[in-house]
Amino acid sequence: MKKSLFALVAFILILSLGLAGCNSSKTSSDGNGKKGGDGGGVMIYGKGGDAVGLDPAHETDGESFIVTEQIFEPLLSYKKENTDVQPGLAKSWEISKDNLKYTLKLEEGIKFHDGTDFNAEAVVKNFERWMNGDAAKFPYYASMFGGYKKDKAHVIKEVKAVDKNTVQFTLKRPQAPFLKNLAMSPFAISSPAAIEKYGDKIGQNPVGTGPFKFKEWKRDATITVVKNDSYWKKGLPKLDGVTFKVIKDNSARMNALTKGEVDLIDNVNPSELDKIKSNNKLQVFERPSMNVAYLGFNTEKAPFNKKEVRQAINYLVNKDELIKNFYNGTAEAAATPLPSAIAGQNKDVKDYGYNETKAKELLKKAGLEKGFKMDLWAMPVSRPYMPDGKKIAEAIQANLKKVNIDANIVTFDWGVYLEKIRKGESPAFLIGWTGDNGDADNFLYSLLDKDTINSNNYSRYNSPAVHKLLIEAQSTADEAKREVLYKKAEKIIHEDAPWVPLVHAKPILGGTSKIKDFYPHPKGSQSFVEVSMTK
Amino acid sequence: MAELAGTTPPITNPTAAQEERVISPWRDAWRSFRKNKLAMAGMFLVAFFILIAIIAPLIAPYSYDVQKMADKHLAPSAAHWFGTDEFGRDILTRIIYGARISIWVGCISVAGSVIVGSTLGVIAGYYGRFIDMIISRVFDIILAFPSILLAIAVVSVLGPSLRNALIAIALINVPIFGRLVRSKVLSVKQEEYISAAKAIGMKDSRILFQHVLPNSMAPIIVQGTLAIATAIIEAAALGFLGLGAQPPTPEWGKMLADSKDFILDAPWTVIFPGLAIMLTVLGFNLMGDGLRDALDPKMKN
Repeated sequence: MKKSLFALVAFILILSLGLAGCNSSKTSSDGNGKKGGDGGGVMIYGKGGDAVGLDPAHETDGESFIVTEQIFEPLLSYKKENTDVQPGLAKSWEISKDNLKYTLKLEEGIKFHDGTDFNAEAVVKNFERWMNGDAAKFPYYASMFGGYKKDKAHVIKEVKAVDKNTVQFTLKRPQAPFLKNLAMSPFAISSPAAIEKYGDKIGQNPVGTGPFKFKEWKRDATITVVKNDSYWKKGLPKLDGVTFKVIKDNSARMNALTKGEVDLIDNVNPSELDKIKSNNKLQVFERPSMNVAYLGFNTEKAPFNKKEVRQAINYLVNKDELIKNFYNGTAEAAATPLPSAIAGQNKDVKDYGYNETKAKELLKKAGLEKGFKMDLWAMPVSRPYMPDGKKIAEAIQANLKKVNIDANIVTFDWGVYLEKIRKGESPAFLIGWTGDNGDADNFLYSLLDKDTINSNNYSRYNSPAVHKLLIEAQSTADEAKREVLYKKAEKIIHEDAPWVPLVHAKPILGGTSKIKDFYPHPKGSQSFVEVSMTK
Repeated sequence: MAELAGTTPPITNPTAAQEERVISPWRDAWRSFRKNKLAMAGMFLVAFFILIAIIAPLIAPYSYDVQKMADKHLAPSAAHWFGTDEFGRDILTRIIYGARISIWVGCISVAGSVIVGSTLGVIAGYYGRFIDMIISRVFDIILAFPSILLAIAVVSVLGPSLRNALIAIALINVPIFGRLVRSKVLSVKQEEYISAAKAIGMKDSRILFQHVLPNSMAPIIVQGTLAIATAIIEAAALGFLGLGAQPPTPEWGKMLADSKDFILDAPWTVIFPGLAIMLTVLGFNLMGDGLRDALDPKMKN
């Protein structure tokens, strides 16, 4: 009895030793794989917040897109440094004379990560899925294509597979930025087989055609993607994988970079810009500015349903001070929603500017000269357009106090925060937007048209005049004419003041000097397909 | 008659003489407390912070919530003794007002836990049996959680605010006082004067509040003083995590959290609130230790 027990224990010990040996040898070979190769390796990317979900069509935020960009690809893509459209999964396209038919030729022989063929059928299935959805499932779709299949304003009449590698889109009315829309991160193509297999859980099990395959997601900690060995572009990706590590605190993320725990970080505190510049082991990446940070009002909720109140608060925000104290000068004051990089920005719209007396007059006109109490929502995470929302909120709070407006600063987890403001639960909130396709339409129509209430029009701004202008601009092909229309719309928006446009920020990324061929894209996220790391 | 009148003084005199000799235990404690230099230093620290908390509006050089953005991160100078923060607010002023919050939170939350904890402890200790079992097990359960974690959980449920932080801190301290009082009551209960009180038919409530509780007072006072120190740290921790005081309240923990990014560029924004927390807590701890020495009969030589 005793002997057999001894033998058993000895056996277990030997077995565990053997297993441990297996385990360690496996990791070491993995480690060799990572370190070796030509400029490969695993890049660790420090980000400020976790992804909300990994089904790109379901998401609207940059923290999700930076991951989905690696796993998925849209039909078309953008140039490295701007938002000009270039071939992606579709190698060429033709537009009919009336601007209503778009025929796209697809690349041949591409496979999704799960082995399913990428073809016209897959594209059609993806579009059908989105257009048969609703605002809760695919919030971004409506912002770009006017609604869903059942809606009158929906732009796409039909998506059809002409043959195995040709897709044809038929529109109800011309949409000038249609090709740019197709290239946006949310409209990347998922494997139809995976959609069927995972159903509602597709957001945790993304399967695309991109340069990296999804491996693992530990909530609020890491997301791991690994090299797609059978990627259709030869010789790419150069990296063996990317690990996205969530480090919420800006300075902790910066510390991790300095210590070499991560290779690349986003949302660097503007105040720490000099620290990176003076360190020769680090380098600064400046993302071209294509964003706007704003204080939005829920125009359906009292007292912000009154234009005077909204204008009054516009007079109470001192943007220059905010830029100096919280952006370290790396931003410009916003007068209209459009940043200067986007064609159509109306330079004639003069900012409200800080003016306490005018604010008081307007409040008196609204019958609120005694002030009121309000909740001011501040985002919990650092965003490229706003490094620290709570501090901006505190600064605004102090200015509101001067006219007896008592603002109570409220915050939630990031996912909850977005969901609640989308549903219109917040009276006033800080948020921002990074343009996803470089078109004015992606700002004004996505954020301020009545069609996009419950989608990205968080302030629930409903102006028929603006709607008319924006739809007209969408349907016009002539760029000069479109600009005139957008400028008119901006003027009305300025007068109606559904927002306090705060700033257009220049987001800063920091990386180790090992990183090569990384170009931050103005749209806020980009694929790491060409990035490599020297040893 | 004359004899009688003459005898009167001798009756009073011995009692007067006795009073001089037999000192009340409180006075005795005060004497030994006064001899303890560290304890006195602690008391002065505490008194100092309480004083500045009371007269804050009179001595604060600026307003704690008026921002002057142009004065961002001014180093300590004659105009701003402790420098200014990111919003251009005077840090000295904010620390002076912060004393109000920290001491208020510390005292009120501990008062709350003392009241609730000792009531439960007295009931558990005096009545025993299954009431004791229920109350003691609840205490055990609460004590099984790491205190700050429990506080975070409570605040997450109630929503972040100073009041809810106070409630959370009070809650996590309840079992400490409950257990203390329960054990003290268990020993006091055996004393002869309690048996005597029972024998003459005194009501339970009178026995509890006039005999048992006053005789259990000393450890409560000691533990209470020490608990204020922990409560202040916990309030600061919650504030640091954004779960306590909300802006623009000048809570010390929140001031630390707001300025931790600038620990190298503007160290005064971090050092002074940190020092304020440290000194207050040190004061209460020294005072508590001194009280323990003074009030514990076993420590007497």
